[in-house]
Amino acid sequence: MSIAWVENFLWGSLLIVRVFAVALVLTVAWGMLGASAKLSKHWLLQRLAAAYTSVFRGTPELLVVLILYFGSAVTLTWLTKMVNPAVKFVDIPPFWAGALAISLIVGAYATETFRGALQGIDAGQTEAARALGLSGWQIFAHVKLPQMWRLALPGLGNHMSSIIKDTALLSVIGVEEITYTAEMATALTGKPFSMYMIVAGIYLCFTSLVVFSVARLETRANRYLVKSQ
Amino acid sequence: MSFDLMLIAASLPKITTGVVLTLKLLGVSLLFGTALGIGAALMRISGSRLLAWPSFAYSYVFRGTPMLVQLFIIYYGLSQFEGLRNSMLWPILREPFWCAVIALSLNEGAYAAEILRAAIRGVDQGLHEAGRALGLSPRQRFMHVTAPIAVRLALPAYGNEMIGLLKGTALVSMIAMNDITGVARTIVAKTFAPYEIFISAAIVYLSITWVIQHGIRAAERHFNRYIKQ
Repeated sequence: MSIAWVENFLWGSLLIVRVFAVALVLTVAWGMLGASAKLSKHWLLQRLAAAYTSVFRGTPELLVVLILYFGSAVTLTWLTKMVNPAVKFVDIPPFWAGALAISLIVGAYATETFRGALQGIDAGQTEAARALGLSGWQIFAHVKLPQMWRLALPGLGNHMSSIIKDTALLSVIGVEEITYTAEMATALTGKPFSMYMIVAGIYLCFTSLVVFSVARLETRANRYLVKSQ
Repeated sequence: MSFDLMLIAASLPKITTGVVLTLKLLGVSLLFGTALGIGAALMRISGSRLLAWPSFAYSYVFRGTPMLVQLFIIYYGLSQFEGLRNSMLWPILREPFWCAVIALSLNEGAYAAEILRAAIRGVDQGLHEAGRALGLSPRQRFMHVTAPIAVRLALPAYGNEMIGLLKGTALVSMIAMNDITGVARTIVAKTFAPYEIFISAAIVYLSITWVIQHGIRAAERHFNRYIKQ
């Protein structure tokens, strides 16, 4: 019996790590943009951010992935056909469409986390910084960011777990991650339970790693705080 | 490329049948999931390690793995065991509907357990002591003091969890069930009009989300009616 599928689980796991890395960066970007928009004084920005969070938190993840991938494919194909009618099908690579979809979904949750963290910083801090003559950007980078990081960490940990778990959906648009590997391996081995248990095991390792790392980071981020009784 | 409104109108009856299945899955899984969650939360706070540990492991594993993988393990995986295939349980485990209900309920139970545990912990210790001073038995204290307050504390998080469960039901389209997402995918495969169909499906989900949110808010108002704002 061939055991080539063992190697495929390895490649599939690597792919999860790559999707995770791309999606995490984008998630933080959407989250910060969303949180800034929600806290801004401009009503249009507030409305846009509110629409963003309610749409992406209320629509199933699977549907978002499908809309982004197939929607962009239809649009791109249509645009390309105007230039070159011989073209049959153009799409965004599933890897990027998937990472983008996941980041938009989790970014909607991160928006709320970051907003809460920004609001959680004592207003006196900003006033003190302003009194010291720091510019708006300096206040953000040197006063707000280091402090919101501490407050946002627990929530961000949950969002990181969500990103990892959402990668399982990407087999539906043809990303060859480990759920896809398990399907292929089942055809070879005839053991679906064992194959999908391997998948679950790999995911559990990843999410445990996130939980563990975030706990370490939290201890580090809070190291200057005096413990309350 | 255009946005075909006629297609949406023509697809509405089919999508409606999908709504019925989605709501059925949501209702049944919410019922079983909540029961599981109450059981698991009580085990966690029981004070006995023998009970607390399995409950912790259950929550950890189901929250740490993608629901899609859990669904595949139950739907595709269990057929690997011949003993099970010949057992009395097979007529149930063969059905996609019941496999979906089992996966959704187990998942919901794992999250509900955490929410309920946190809520029970959040009840002021002084109330407990007051109950003891009044001569209430531990059972009476739990039923008449702790539980009603815990329900109130758990409600907001529970509402979010219900929306999470609604979004989770979309995964059953991956085991060929015709819920809202399943119907939408079938229509898109035929017409290749992803925008019209998937966005209509998303609007249906958002409407259900809206109803859940407002229902929970009404329940919160009801439970908080004696609390001064």
